[in-house]
Amino acid sequence: MLIFKQLVLGLLLPAIVSGGILIYAKSRASKKKDKRTEAGEGLPLGWLVAVALSAGYIVGYIGLEGLPPFPPREGVHWLCYLALIGLILGTFRHFALWGRLVVQVALSILIPRLLLHSTFKWTWGPVEGIIWWVCLAAALFIFFNIVQQSFTILPAGGSSPFVYFGLFGGTALILAVSGSLRLAQHGGVLVAIFAVSWSITLIGQHADNRWRVLPIGASPVVALLLAGIWMNGYFYEEVPAASAILLFLSLFLAPIGRIAAVQRLGARRSTIVQIAAIALPVVIAISIAVARSGLFGESTGY
Amino acid sequence: MKTNLGWNLRPFYIASLVLLLVIGFVGITQPMGMALYEIDTTHSMIIFRAKHNNVSYNYGRFNEFTGSITIGSDVRPHSESMVEFEVKAASVDTGNEKRDQHLRSSDFFSAKQFPVITFKSTEVSTKEGEEDVLGVTGDLELHGVKKSITIDVEITGRAKGKQGESLIGFETTFTIKRSEFGMTYGIGPVSDDIQITVSVEAKHE
Repeated sequence: MLIFKQLVLGLLLPAIVSGGILIYAKSRASKKKDKRTEAGEGLPLGWLVAVALSAGYIVGYIGLEGLPPFPPREGVHWLCYLALIGLILGTFRHFALWGRLVVQVALSILIPRLLLHSTFKWTWGPVEGIIWWVCLAAALFIFFNIVQQSFTILPAGGSSPFVYFGLFGGTALILAVSGSLRLAQHGGVLVAIFAVSWSITLIGQHADNRWRVLPIGASPVVALLLAGIWMNGYFYEEVPAASAILLFLSLFLAPIGRIAAVQRLGARRSTIVQIAAIALPVVIAISIAVARSGLFGESTGY
Repeated sequence: MKTNLGWNLRPFYIASLVLLLVIGFVGITQPMGMALYEIDTTHSMIIFRAKHNNVSYNYGRFNEFTGSITIGSDVRPHSESMVEFEVKAASVDTGNEKRDQHLRSSDFFSAKQFPVITFKSTEVSTKEGEEDVLGVTGDLELHGVKKSITIDVEITGRAKGKQGESLIGFETTFTIKRSEFGMTYGIGPVSDDIQITVSVEAKHE
């Protein structure tokens, strides 16, 4: 029964919901033949993709956990609300730059305080809490922009959904070996969503190789969910610090594809180098978590 | 004739006032006829059991907890009687470090988010016809969820310790549904019903 719940409600259902909306978004964009929206600049496609990602995640969340309480009691409960906040941010993608920056700064300050309420209450003293808060707010603000940048830096086609498929997959694996199967399932929901978006891109790009399945409007959903899962994993679970830092830094390597020497390798090879550069810290992060978990030690389980 | 009585009695007035304040303070903190028993954690135990795969009972315990019981000096419940417990969730011990780590995670206790499990009584009464059984109603806060529960607590013994301190023993066994406290992960392989036994020795100096 438990495996049925995990497979059907945690993987299959989110994939179907996200996939259905993504296919609808693709057909709508193709009908309009609007290259501007296909490049991810306009609202409709970006918004629909943000809807696809957040709706898929929320369906998976409800399938696994039920409706989240409000106000959220646990860090995990915030993930559902972060998906909604990401969707709202994606909706207002066409707002002026300063307006978006103000919202990003406000969320970067608020989210760590709300999600890590227990850590502020029980673990950190006032000074330590403020230092952590400032650092986390700065890191989250930078991360918002790194994820957004990765949506444009990664080449069109299957590479960006593949990168996020790998990043969420690595996250889920690290969480699972670190002892939190529940949070790993949330990573699994996103793995399913990005697996389906990757598959749809691979099929769709035969018709249009400029098609970008993840337009920039969807980046807040991805940034908030990744940050939310990582914060939960590091502060509330036993994810090793080195693994958390490596996961966080992995996307900083996306611009490697813009280095002239890499670009000279040609489109295909430079994409491979770019993906490999992002994958390397993720693989090291997984290795550290597996090594620390004692998975291959004498005590293998219970 | 002028007397100096008022001045001479001044120390007496001051001493009386101090005494009244002390009595008043003691009265506020501990009602008359009440005794505060601190839990002796060395001789107390909080254990629980859950059914695994609907086959066998697996037992665990909490190694770190504190608590106190305020009860009538005659060891009878009183309107002011009170039971308080604070248990460190991270001290869960099932005899298997891997399982304990899993139990501390957000799959179960979320020990980093909810480091303490608390119980605070709201009403203590006697059970009719059962002299040594107390009915205790109180708020159990577990995993960030507070719920009122009512349990029967048996007084298991009374004695004097080596230093003349009063000793008293209590024991209770009750069952909760962990899903009611938001602990829904893995229901099936690990039962929803968790039986908890609290056996306590407390002393009043």
